[in-house]
Amino acid sequence: MKLSVMLEQLSSGMLRSMEIFFLTLIFSLPLGLLISFGRMSKNKILRTIVKVYISVMRGTPLMLQLLVVYFGPYYLFGMQIGGTYRFTAIILGFALNYAAYFAEIYRSGIESMPVGQYEAARVLGYSKTQCFCCIIFPQVVKRILPSITNEVITLVKDTSLSFSLAYAEMFTIAKQIAAAQTTFIPFVVAAIFYYIFNLVVAVVMERLEKKLSYYQ
Amino acid sequence: MKKTVVCILTGAALAVSMIGSTACFAEEQKTFTVGFDAEYPPYGYMDENGEYTGFDLELAQAVCDLEGWELVKTPIDWDSKDMELNSGSIDCIWNGFTMNGREDDYTWSKPYVDNSQVIVVPENSEVTDLSGLAGKIVGVQAASAALELLSDGGDQADLAATFGSLQQFPDYNNAFVELQAGSIDAVAMDIGVAQYQLKQKEGYKILDEKLNSEKYAIGFKLGNEELRDTVDADLDQLVADGTFAKLAEKYELTDMVCLGTDEGETEAETEGAQTEAATEAVTE
Repeated sequence: MKLSVMLEQLSSGMLRSMEIFFLTLIFSLPLGLLISFGRMSKNKILRTIVKVYISVMRGTPLMLQLLVVYFGPYYLFGMQIGGTYRFTAIILGFALNYAAYFAEIYRSGIESMPVGQYEAARVLGYSKTQCFCCIIFPQVVKRILPSITNEVITLVKDTSLSFSLAYAEMFTIAKQIAAAQTTFIPFVVAAIFYYIFNLVVAVVMERLEKKLSYYQ
Repeated sequence: MKKTVVCILTGAALAVSMIGSTACFAEEQKTFTVGFDAEYPPYGYMDENGEYTGFDLELAQAVCDLEGWELVKTPIDWDSKDMELNSGSIDCIWNGFTMNGREDDYTWSKPYVDNSQVIVVPENSEVTDLSGLAGKIVGVQAASAALELLSDGGDQADLAATFGSLQQFPDYNNAFVELQAGSIDAVAMDIGVAQYQLKQKEGYKILDEKLNSEKYAIGFKLGNEELRDTVDADLDQLVADGTFAKLAEKYELTDMVCLGTDEGETEAETEGAQTEAATEAVTE
């Protein structure tokens, strides 16, 4: 196989990996915030449910969760699956899993805010929502960015798990080429692809951090 | 900030394109989804141009051409093949799929390839027959027929008990590298795959003594006789018009295919006896 063909194949796989990456972030970042509210809720039942959810999502392997999300409807309800559900299941599995991690990151940020800020906001006549949206949350984002970056970089590499649902993302294609050509070059290329993508992610996040550090 | 906006927009664009492709699926056309292991040359693999091809996939394409179906090639994770098949994600497993030992688990087509499981060792290895493997580390693909043969309850479980250990690999490429590096002593695999690997690599040999002989067939979901009968009839037609032989020649499998040759027909009947004889010879 010519190197150009290999690169072309791996690039198309990389696009599919990126598709998973972006869609997962789009869904899991807001969902994580919601879950973190549930986790900090005063309602004991809701708090316990969310606690169990986070514990299960963090306590079981992502690959297993993907299998459950995809094959679950068939084994539990006898539904026929296939076609487009495959991709939906991947995004669903990734988003649910990553939301649990993000929720804990949000919580760490929100709970690190001094009570004095809430009190001051109340004195100044801010409503609870205003206080959270205008005062607390912007500071939270600043504080948790490094942790989020960590998680996001892990996500880039985790996209390769989607092969357990027979989705041909980049690493799967690398393995297939390696098997057919009996060489290890595709793995080297795959490593470079992952590294460059993560480098871009890291640089973007660093820029974002700098932008947000307007008080320093 | 601009960059994040660009990122989000890209993501959104991708999402929209996904929905677009979803719409295409709504079209009424009979599809035939073949599940295969894309790391299994010469039966199913990625060719020079990045297309999935192989003896089995071209055969599947020929069947689809006869029926006017659209062939969907779905490379699956071999470990999840049963889940994929039972849940209806794929219509059949067609990829050097060994039927022996799994007769009651799937609805099978006619066997079309005579396969055997063999042991590959480095050329300079002192191992010359199966008994020489005592105390050695043997590699095998996870969820493969060779593994079934060598694990408890398999026909060669007694032989496997003499091994130092039996190591499972996700794919043969890994196994071969370990073989080269000397961390394992031998690899058990299908002869077709072994020959393909040896054509590409120097320094290995296949032991003359085989683990067993077995048949490849197409596996359908248990009870799906209707689809099975259709594909079987098409295979007969492909044998009759010579397409089958031509494909076998293209992939250098002529010695191994067992459809269409007279001897193949009779062999199918005596297959059980033959396998037993082979096993006996091996254990001796």
